[in-house]
Amino acid sequence: MKRLSTLLFVGLLFALIVSACAAPAAPASQPAAPAEPAAAEATSPAPAEAQEFVTWYQYDENNEDPASDERVGNEYLRDTIPVFNEAFAGKWHWVNQPKAWDKMAAELVAAVQAGADVPDLFEGGSGQVSLFYKNGVMQDLTEWASAQPWYADMDPNALLGCTGPDGGLYCIPVAQRPHLVYVWKDRFPNGFPKTPEEFLVEAERLKGEGLYAVTFFGSTAFDGEGLTRAVWTTIASFGGNLDDGQGNMTLNTPENVAAVEFLRTLVQSGYVPEIAFAGGFQEENAFKDASAAAFPTGLFGYRYVNPLTAPNGTEYSKGNQEDMLDAIEAGDVMLSPFVAPEGMTPGCGVEVSGFAIPVGAKNPEGAKAYIDWIMTDAAQNSDWVLRPGGGFPTLKTTQASADFQTPFYQEAAEVLSQSACRSWYGSMDRKAEAQKLAMGAIYKVIKEDPTADIATELQAAQDEYNAGN
Amino acid sequence: MQQTGIRRRAKRWLRDSLPFWLLLPTILILLAVQVYPALYTVWLSFQERNPAGWEFVGGANFRRLFGMGLFGESIGHTTVFLLGYAGLTLVIGFVIALLLNRKLRFSGLYITLLFIPWVIADIIVGIAFRLLVVPDYGLLSGILQNPALFPPNGLSILTAVPPRPWIGDIPFPPAPAMVYLILASAWRALPFVTLLILAAMQTIPSELVESSRIDGANPRQVIRFIIIPLILPTLVVALFSLTLSGMNGVGMVFSLTGGGPGSSTEVLSYMLYSIGWRQLEFGRAAALALLIAAVNWLLIGGTLRLTRVEERSH
Repeated sequence: MKRLSTLLFVGLLFALIVSACAAPAAPASQPAAPAEPAAAEATSPAPAEAQEFVTWYQYDENNEDPASDERVGNEYLRDTIPVFNEAFAGKWHWVNQPKAWDKMAAELVAAVQAGADVPDLFEGGSGQVSLFYKNGVMQDLTEWASAQPWYADMDPNALLGCTGPDGGLYCIPVAQRPHLVYVWKDRFPNGFPKTPEEFLVEAERLKGEGLYAVTFFGSTAFDGEGLTRAVWTTIASFGGNLDDGQGNMTLNTPENVAAVEFLRTLVQSGYVPEIAFAGGFQEENAFKDASAAAFPTGLFGYRYVNPLTAPNGTEYSKGNQEDMLDAIEAGDVMLSPFVAPEGMTPGCGVEVSGFAIPVGAKNPEGAKAYIDWIMTDAAQNSDWVLRPGGGFPTLKTTQASADFQTPFYQEAAEVLSQSACRSWYGSMDRKAEAQKLAMGAIYKVIKEDPTADIATELQAAQDEYNAGN
Repeated sequence: MQQTGIRRRAKRWLRDSLPFWLLLPTILILLAVQVYPALYTVWLSFQERNPAGWEFVGGANFRRLFGMGLFGESIGHTTVFLLGYAGLTLVIGFVIALLLNRKLRFSGLYITLLFIPWVIADIIVGIAFRLLVVPDYGLLSGILQNPALFPPNGLSILTAVPPRPWIGDIPFPPAPAMVYLILASAWRALPFVTLLILAAMQTIPSELVESSRIDGANPRQVIRFIIIPLILPTLVVALFSLTLSGMNGVGMVFSLTGGGPGSSTEVLSYMLYSIGWRQLEFGRAAALALLIAAVNWLLIGGTLRLTRVEERSH
């Protein structure tokens, strides 16, 4: 009997171990082609009641806190969900599941790979395409999107941002988010400098007045997020690149070294406040109280940087996105391209935001109906770009609409016409790793060890990344 | 006759196998929540994800880990953190337990107050400690950033660069942020350790302490030759707990320093989080998890061995 129970036990144990060692519930290994809408309609009976269409946004319609950082997106959802549900009554019922902005991509990858519940639509963009492609997370939307009437109206550069290494379209871009420089006009009576040399002269003058010339995301927080902002803007303005177009990192180049040398000079000369290195987006504080004269960041930054106190004492204290827009309209804040060496065009980063449909989505047709609605209805398109998108429209017709002729958008468009914006990661497919490595190396030489040889440190980070190729 | 035999055999089988059936639910739960994830981690550590699915890559994930500059750095940071955290918590916990063991007035109230940090989630403790030292508006920033107190420019804990290492690349002396992380972690772990030690102290027969005093032992000798040897098993348990929580905890680092400034507080557990959940390199993260597990076993084994020697010597 003892033997029998032992055998039974061993058998059970073996069965469990075998099941444990089996490959995980495999998600569709290749991004699945979208189902034909017509076929789907033909095979499934007409729903008696509206089907749930689930989205993952970084916003939460139930968060009504006016001080929330994400109030703009929260309000968008609060306003738009009922409108959508009414427009698609009896067909689709929009259910949003709010997610943390810096964790939602990881959560989605884990969910798809584990075969767990995934949303029908994911609010994301160009920054995640390579990651999602590598992990087989997103559906290729090329066939469906190219058959839609709005496709021809899209900015080809925006489409490029959503294109995976295999040429497939893995997201639908709705807004483009370029980077530029927010500037307190009074701090630069002769206008914002054009070259690094001019900037250093102004910085020294401001230092003499007890002020800082610039604040930026200088810490290594969020695994090197700072690289994607002012650091990349500087590198791009110096004509630098972070990749060779073949998936390799090219961090140690003369242009990059010169850009990093410039950043080191700014930091070591005391032109940048210490809070720029504290992480947690606290670098914004130095711009809010005008102790720092300039702030290179994303266009969408306007909604987070408030309340504001201008150098002349004017307070913009609504505590929401209107503060920055009001300061721009009043002429206290101006937008500017970054500085660039003589003869070069200022650079900047750009990313596109929009929608993706995960592999394993239960109602991809609901997601397509929603995308179609946003891309077809001009008012909805503008609203999305203005609020959750926080950028410029990817549809040419929307670009021409009155919503984008405000002083803020006009000034931004003018600035961007003088800049050459591109994504920082280029052909690198391990974006998160590249970001952490490059920012770690740059932080070390500009802040931690100002005597370290820049080229040596950049080369070490480059070699480490390329060893994984 | 035959039926009685069968019934008897069945009864005996039931009696013999009863412990197994009683244990079975626990075994199944352990298999599901411990054995399966462990085996899956081993499997994952030899895989890499590509668009077509998982691919067996042999030891490539381990090789990549060893090739990472941050890996060596993290080992150094983890060692410094563990030594500081476990050492500080044990020493302060022991001292507080000694004081509370004297049955002071309001000692019940002190114990209740002492327990507060233990019931706060580490991520919340991290946020609270961070808010105390944020350069612009932190409650302690005014004091810390006073050049008169911390020459020449004051001290900004979250941004101060680490001092030059005394020996090679060993991160000692630690960065101010690492010291602060150790303090915050020790503050949170202190109640548990203190109460553990206090409970052990209260089991020491008072006659033993009194007779040692009559024999002329001074307070230091009482502590060294009576109290410590008698509570040694408890100290070992406390050390285990501290070592494991210090080695594997990520919440405090995540919310207090995020591994920074630079990489000066990037410990192995945070590196694991970063590779797994930021870079989504699950294969490499699994390889690191296995290495951390191995280090855990070594630490536990080492501590046990040391304390056995200690016990024998006493």
